[in-house]
Amino acid sequence: MFEIKLASENAIIIYFGEQASPELAKKIAFYSEFLHERLGELIIDIVPSYTSALISYDLNNCDHQKFCNLVSTSLAQAIFVNEEQSTEVIDIPVYYAEEVGLDLARMLTEKELSLAEFINIHSQQVYLVYAIGFSPAFAFLAEVDERIQMPRLTTPRIQIPAGSVGIADNQTAVYPIESAGGWNIVGRTPIDLSLNDYSNLQRFRVGHQVKFKSIDRQEFLALGGSL
Amino acid sequence: MSFKVIKAGFHSMIQDRGRFGLAHQGLSQCGVADEHAYYWANHLLANDRNDAVLEITFGGCELLVLTDTAIVVTGADLAFKVNGNSQPIWQVLAVKKGDRLTWSTPITGVRAYLAVQGGLQTQHYFNSRSINIREQVGALIQVGDELLSLATKTKNVGKAMPVWFKPNYREPLCLRILASYQFEQFNEQQRDILFGQTYKVGQASDRTGCRLEGLPISNSPATMVSEGMAYGSVEITTAGLPIILLKDAPTIGGYPKIGTVFSLDLAKLAQRQPGCELRFELIDIETAQTLRREFEQFF
Repeated sequence: MFEIKLASENAIIIYFGEQASPELAKKIAFYSEFLHERLGELIIDIVPSYTSALISYDLNNCDHQKFCNLVSTSLAQAIFVNEEQSTEVIDIPVYYAEEVGLDLARMLTEKELSLAEFINIHSQQVYLVYAIGFSPAFAFLAEVDERIQMPRLTTPRIQIPAGSVGIADNQTAVYPIESAGGWNIVGRTPIDLSLNDYSNLQRFRVGHQVKFKSIDRQEFLALGGSL
Repeated sequence: MSFKVIKAGFHSMIQDRGRFGLAHQGLSQCGVADEHAYYWANHLLANDRNDAVLEITFGGCELLVLTDTAIVVTGADLAFKVNGNSQPIWQVLAVKKGDRLTWSTPITGVRAYLAVQGGLQTQHYFNSRSINIREQVGALIQVGDELLSLATKTKNVGKAMPVWFKPNYREPLCLRILASYQFEQFNEQQRDILFGQTYKVGQASDRTGCRLEGLPISNSPATMVSEGMAYGSVEITTAGLPIILLKDAPTIGGYPKIGTVFSLDLAKLAQRQPGCELRFELIDIETAQTLRREFEQFF
């Protein structure tokens, strides 16, 4: 069911499965929340990801063995409920065009797709947030349709503009702030996902659903996007 | 009530114990690089243990004192002077309005800490005053900035750390490491390469990670799906060399991790320049927790 491993002098990592899947992502989100409610006083941070959750705790009040026992006992009592219908879908507007999609032209050629076909494939899918990390509010979304999957660039770019939407293998994501990165950039959102707006920290959670909505240049600019 | 920045220095910024409770949103813990020097600085001033300090890396920094107060400088010896005269570190000093505090160049160690009575009252970002440049949370101090502190009566002047606690940043460094994460996926030969050699701290090291140079581990396990990375995790890159993840590291990553360095050894590492030599040896979880708990209880 799960395996607990040592992560540091005040952290453990719990593996919930071998293979990432939508079901496992929902389970991990549920168990993370459950442990937070049960053992919140001892827990400093929980970092859920594709197949695992890293938990750091207050070692002044609990030692490693005791904490592992508490976690095992709590997880044994948790009953996972799959709440399929209740999840809302977060819409992210994206301007798909070569002037903002640095790798779009290359991708269309290699995948033998028209721009309209590409947009359709990328924006029709409902993606699941599998993990948040790399930088604040950077949400790893999957699963990208096989027809537009693309490996990372061999040499990452030094600077990717904030709002850029990228694809790496079966994952897609928005870069909330300007940063280095090796994902294939296909468009840009006009929405500010950076920490300039503090509420962006609450925007995504592991287990949330996200969909991209295609917008044109005019809408992009009207919504505050910059080229 | 404050200091004015005359020279910002190479890399000077405000840090406290760190940012906790938001790692699930991708915010790294940040906080001071050298916890040992930081805890002593606040301890000598009878400050709160979470009070913010100025972390000065390599020197080149000058501050003008705007109000009489008590300060402590700990950590690296960066040729600290008040009005051009050398002053002791690891000891509470009274400073007066108009005094000039300077840190010029590293003599021993890399990072000096300036703590002020009552703690620096700079801006909070998400429950912490710590700056993270990589995440664009706050910024380095700039010429002309005013660093606020509380107006309090100067206390504890002359209080000093007993000499036997003084760390020697020149002694050979051995990092004690916990067998964590994917330790078992590395075979005996690969572990022997880690424990059997002396590594060098690489040039491309910063608050995010310490890159080590040495003999690579061959055929190290492939990259995995990303997972949460604890402070001190030792990633083995595709090239077979270790990166020790430090305070500003991303919260998740996909390289296999051969172990996790004990936190108080990371404090020592924070004072080593590129080119310094270091080795690894194993520590068990019981010992690591006991040592860390003793450290917390001491302060």
